[in-house]
Amino acid sequence: MFERFTKPARDVVTGAQIEARELRHRHIGTEHLLLALLRDDGVACSVLRDAGVYPEQVRADVRAQVGAGPDPLGQADADALLSIGIDLDAIRSKIEETFGEGALDQPHMCEEPRRGLFRRQPRQVHGGSPRHIPFSPRAKKVLELSLREALHLKHSYIGTEHILLGLIREGNGLAAKVLTDAGLNLDDLRTHVLDALDRAA
Amino acid sequence: MSEATELAAAASSTDPRVGLRAVLALRRLLESLETLQVDNARRQGWSWQEIAVALEVTRQGVHKKHASRRPAGTRREA
Repeated sequence: MFERFTKPARDVVTGAQIEARELRHRHIGTEHLLLALLRDDGVACSVLRDAGVYPEQVRADVRAQVGAGPDPLGQADADALLSIGIDLDAIRSKIEETFGEGALDQPHMCEEPRRGLFRRQPRQVHGGSPRHIPFSPRAKKVLELSLREALHLKHSYIGTEHILLGLIREGNGLAAKVLTDAGLNLDDLRTHVLDALDRAA
Repeated sequence: MSEATELAAAASSTDPRVGLRAVLALRRLLESLETLQVDNARRQGWSWQEIAVALEVTRQGVHKKHASRRPAGTRREA
């Protein structure tokens, strides 16, 4: 479905992956899409910024809601462990012998429904790229809705603004919660996006 | 390997910061290992009760801490 996505829209999709990884979350949720939209410099981002939504605040709100995964064991940890006679590299290589690369640093999960149609979807843990983070059903829904929004507006492409409209339309994810908790009205936001599109047209 | 000498000195350091940092690192390692091994046990079909016994904790405790994570390969059943 990504063939109609503009370059910035594709960047949002990959940016969401980066945001999820940085927060050490196991799934890409709507909140990561929102954070990725805020990295962009297109219509979606300017509408959000005009509404007073900034990435630092959203990231803080997301952390407050779901936390971040545990800090990975970094060099400072390795040094500290060595000071009490524990060789982290040796432990890591033993673990990876059995469980595969990066096994000790698996991120934790966040927003994911406990039940529903998607729950039996196989997840890649050992196969494929070691750090592939799957989309949550809700985030997938947002991307589907962005396509629908584009069709509705008779646009032949899917841009960041459509992703934002999809996020608003979905309305129940953590992104929507963060926005409404910040005092935003989603309907107003939607109007702002449409106005910005009209101006750009 | 002057770094190693430094670290050897740190081992006998009485500076709490040094010792506490080691405790923090050890806790992080413990958490990572626990996550990995609990997920592995679940993938192999162990019950929460069995895992709890092995870890010498309560079933409720281990369930609360790990159940929401849902590792791959579990709950294949309906």
